[in-house]
Parts: sequence; C-alpha cells; structure tokens
Amino acid sequence: MFPTSTQCKFWMFSSEEELNKLRERANIKHVQIYGRQINDSTKYDFFLSPEEEKIMVKRYELHLRDFCKRFQPPMPRCVVGTSFHYFKRFYINNSVMNYHPKEIMVTCIYLACKVEEFNVSIQQFVSNIKGDREKATDIILNNELLLMEQLNFHLSIHNPFRPVEGLLIDIKTRGSLHDPERLRPGIEHFLEKALLTDAIMLYSPSQVALAAVLHAASKLQENLDSYVTDILFGEDGKGKLEDLIEAVRGIRSMVKMADSVLDKNQQKILDKKLEKCRNPENNPDSEIYKRRMQAMLDEDDDLYHAISAQNQSLDNSALNMSIPDSPEVA
Amino acid sequence: MNNYKLLGRAGEGAHGFVFKGMDLRTEKLVALKKIAINPSSGVPKNTMREICALRALKSNHIVKLIEVTSMGSSVVLVMEFLPWSLAEIIKNTSVSLTLPQIKAYTKMILSGVNYMHQNHVMHRDLKPANLLISGKGILKIADFGLARIYVNEKQRVYSHQVATRWYRAPELLYGSRSYTPSVDMWSVGCILGEMINGQPLFPGETDIEQLAIVLSTLGTPTEVTWPGLAQLPDYNKIAFTPNVGKRWSIVLPTADMVTINLISRILIYNGAKRLSAREALKHKFFFEKPLPAKLSQMPKLDDVKSEEPQWNFVDFDEVIRQLEN
Repeated sequence: MFPTSTQCKFWMFSSEEELNKLRERANIKHVQIYGRQINDSTKYDFFLSPEEEKIMVKRYELHLRDFCKRFQPPMPRCVVGTSFHYFKRFYINNSVMNYHPKEIMVTCIYLACKVEEFNVSIQQFVSNIKGDREKATDIILNNELLLMEQLNFHLSIHNPFRPVEGLLIDIKTRGSLHDPERLRPGIEHFLEKALLTDAIMLYSPSQVALAAVLHAASKLQENLDSYVTDILFGEDGKGKLEDLIEAVRGIRSMVKMADSVLDKNQQKILDKKLEKCRNPENNPDSEIYKRRMQAMLDEDDDLYHAISAQNQSLDNSALNMSIPDSPEVA
Repeated sequence: MNNYKLLGRAGEGAHGFVFKGMDLRTEKLVALKKIAINPSSGVPKNTMREICALRALKSNHIVKLIEVTSMGSSVVLVMEFLPWSLAEIIKNTSVSLTLPQIKAYTKMILSGVNYMHQNHVMHRDLKPANLLISGKGILKIADFGLARIYVNEKQRVYSHQVATRWYRAPELLYGSRSYTPSVDMWSVGCILGEMINGQPLFPGETDIEQLAIVLSTLGTPTEVTWPGLAQLPDYNKIAFTPNVGKRWSIVLPTADMVTINLISRILIYNGAKRLSAREALKHKFFFEKPLPAKLSQMPKLDDVKSEEPQWNFVDFDEVIRQLEN
C-alpha cells in the first residue's frame, strides 16, 4: 500500500523548489566544512556549485540507465526504477563532492537487485563493470551500509509499473479503447524518461502511471479523457479530478524536459573539477582512505575473534541441553 | 543507537545476536537484532526482506519493527521485546496446553497469517520458535528473513530450500519452485498438531526421512489426492512403498472430532485445496465449545530472564566480553 509506505511518508516532496533547496543545502554544508580557508568569492572556482552538482547527478542518471540496459542477465524494470529512487534520494542530502556518483550509482543498483529479489552475486554484478572488478567489489560493499543509512533504511520502493498493469486491465474491462496493448511501447518510453526527472518524488506511482498511459494514447491519436472522467473517477471522484489533471499535466511537462542534452565539453570540465575537489576521505584511490579501510579491517578481525570465541562457548553450553532444537533452514 | 540502553543478550538468530535493551525515550524493552554483514556479499538479503516485510506489515499478531539503525559496520533492527516463543511454551513441561489455549494460539497465528497473506507476503518459515509471545500472552509472528512478496499474476519461481524441515510443505520437499502462500498453512497445521501432541508431528532428520514421515501419515499421494504430482521436479528421484497412511485419530489421539476436521483440511497434499488462513478462521473449531481461551487464561512462563543481572553495557562488544568471563 503506497499511502502507508515510507516512500509516501518520507520521500515525497511538494515541489522541485523544495528539492533544489535541500540539494543546495547539502552543497553549502559541504563547502562550509571543507572550504573554510577559501575566500567566499572564489570558492566556486574550486568547488562545484549547486547547479554543477545537479548536472553531475543528471549525467550519472543517464549512466545508470545505460548500465541497467546493458546489464547481463537482463534486469527487470523494477530494479531499474528502484535504483533511480535510491540514487536520487542519496543526492538530496549529500554532495557529489563528498561521495562520487559513479560509486554511489553502482551501489544503488546492487542494493536494488537485492531488495527487488533479482538474484545476482556480487561477482556476477561486477562482471558488468569495466576495469578493476576487485576494486569495484570493495567500493560497492564498503558503500552499501552508508547508502542504506542515507536512505534511512527505507528500502521498499513503489514503482509505477504495477499501477500501469492495473490501468491496462481496467481499460480492457471497462474502457472502450481498441486493443490497449498498443499503448505499451509509448508507456515504456514515457516511464523510462520519467525516471530521469524529479517527477517520481513529487507524484505518486499511480499518477505517474496514468500520465504514461494518457501520453501513450495521445501519441496514437487516441483519447482516454472520457475513460478517466466517467469511468476511472466516476461520480464519487469528481472532487479529486482537478488535482489529478494538474498532476498529469505536471508530470508530462517534466518528462518533456528530460530530453535536454548535456554539453560534452562542459562535462569534461566538471569531471576534472570534481577530481580535484572531491573529498579524499571517501576517495578509494587516496592514501587517507586506504589507511582508514585498513584500520576498519583490523577492527573487524578483533570483533570476529570475539564473536567466534563466544560461539565456541555457546556450542559447549548447548551440549548440556536435553531437548534438541528443531533443525535450521537448509 | 544512543536512544537505547543495552541490558543483555536475548538470543541468537541465523544472522547474528539478539540483544535485550531499553528504549530510553519510552522506557520500553526492545529486542536489538544485530546483523552481521557478510564480507563477500554485504548486508544479507534476508535482512532486506525482513526490513521490507515488517515495514509493510502492521498487525497485532506480527512483531513490531520500531526502527532500523546502524552501529559501526553492522545493521541493527530494533523490535518490540517479546519474552517467550511458542517453542519454549510447548517444550516447558510445567505447562500443558489446554484445548481453549491451543484454540487461542491457533486463532492468533491464523490472524497474523491471514493479514500477511492479504498483504501479499508469504512467510515461508513458520515454526514455534518464530512465534513469539508477549508478557500479556499475545502471540506475534516474527523472523521474516525468508518472507517474500508474491505476485499473483506472474509465474514467478522461488527457491524450494525454505522453511525449517519439520514444517516444510510436501510440495517443497518434492522441489516445487512455483508454490503459493499455502506453504505457510502447511506449517500452521504442523504447529497445531505439535501443540496438541506436545511434540513435533513430522520430525524428519533428513529431507528424505521428512518426506517418508509425511507420506506414512497421509498415505502415498496419487494424481487424485495431488494433481500435478508427477510434474514436481524431484518426484521421480525417489519412490516410496505405497501405503494408505494413518487415521488422524491415531496420529492425534487426544484430539476431538472438530480439531481433527480442521487439521485434516489443512494438512493435505493439494495446496490449492488446503484451507486458506481466512477459511480456517471461519472453521467451527473456533466457535464450538470449548471456546478459545481469553488472554488472562493463557500460559505465563516465569520470566527467568529478568533475574539476570541488568548490566549497563556501553556497546555490543562489551556484552560479548562480559559473557565470556
């Protein structure tokens, strides 16, 4: 149920302005902490501006989409949708200068695979990544908990794909449209673009689904207006109709904007800028990061010894038990 | 984690320790389930399932997830603290469950199962140890590490290596990968039988023996009692000597006719014919005398755990160190 979900309660926002303000706050916070010695007027010569951060995030969303498309074995749509939600949520409260989007992106997809029960091992997963796979494995596993924390452990995502199925069934049973299956390519295309926008954090999955269906119909020169007004909403829903029309309009206009192309030259400049200003503490190639990881590993070893010693004593004490426990899951 | 005070250890799950603690904001007892992260695959998928399932399920008969947090490099699930499990109550020789009490527990189990099935979640590992009991005697389903959201319309395949063996439905034993929530109902039937007999109904030591015990009780299945049987993945891997099975009045010597009627409609081969939780709740078992017991008449175990020293631990490691000494 979407209305009782953590997505509805904690991750729906009122407007793009609200989202942009939060992102800006994350940027300013980062710059304040790491740019104390830099003059205010020149700080954005070194650091990324909020606008530049947005461009970076947008660009890695395109990478995310392409990575998922090429993924082997082929990935269900819900994994893609869920990855997008995780990625967007992460960068509402974090700066790309603190955590590099290429690292967060793969971690989001890996986590989404697990949550959506798309069973791939980490080895299978990283075989989709070019370059040093061992390093990629480490990055993903090291970032997984951070990502979960940043998501506040709100892991369930309601995607628009199932509401679309519901609408199609309803149109087939109650509507008059000839062969509603024809709408599918248009719907797919629309939803793919919707994932690239903030619409999925501003509108409910069923609203996004309806916008997709209506858009696909209009592409085919079909009209579903009377289905929406007379059948879907009917007499009881008249009061809500206006909000819905507004929502559908909003979603469609955001999706239209999703097509804007990014300037290649500007991308290169931003990449270089980010390499210079990214937080070395979270850069797997930096010395400071390597030292910290080593310290954490040592600590884990100590804890592991403590736990295995503890298990040993438990095993021994279990010998005194007279009633055997039921066998554990195979 | 600063919101909680650790009070000791409460038990051990498949993925780490469970600690007892107190929520300093509400002064309520909580169970802190600390999940050990697998160094080669990260946070266990079972943990994801448990978090997602418990967040979606809010019922009086399902354990309450208060919050999820992290500590160092592990995930901590904070849940309401429930002192006993049905396993302890069945094992406890000083308690022998009366029929009204058995009815009350069965009703609470079925309410929880019905709620979760209506919300498209199957538990897949129902057993007495996963049915926890509050101080007031309310039974709540816990441990959703194997819970799956299921989708009716799709022919999704699942792993058959689920459910603790004694409570595993026969279709799982034969390797089915397209089963339904009725596997949970099989477990409920086994648990009801176990409450009546005071010992497990089908205590197989291996998967083969498990199947042998079930078959010797229910009789060798046929295409009539179990349509689609021959298509099950492992059906042809093993053959058992045909037998007609036992009468339920022999298997459950102390049970009355109504009880036997209910159990015999749950513990059947054909998952499609097995009573659903909703149907079972309407069975006359719950409406004929003796009626289900009231909460005030439910068994109360002496809370031996409260006699443990109530340490104030700084962190989990200290609990472990203390226990070593």
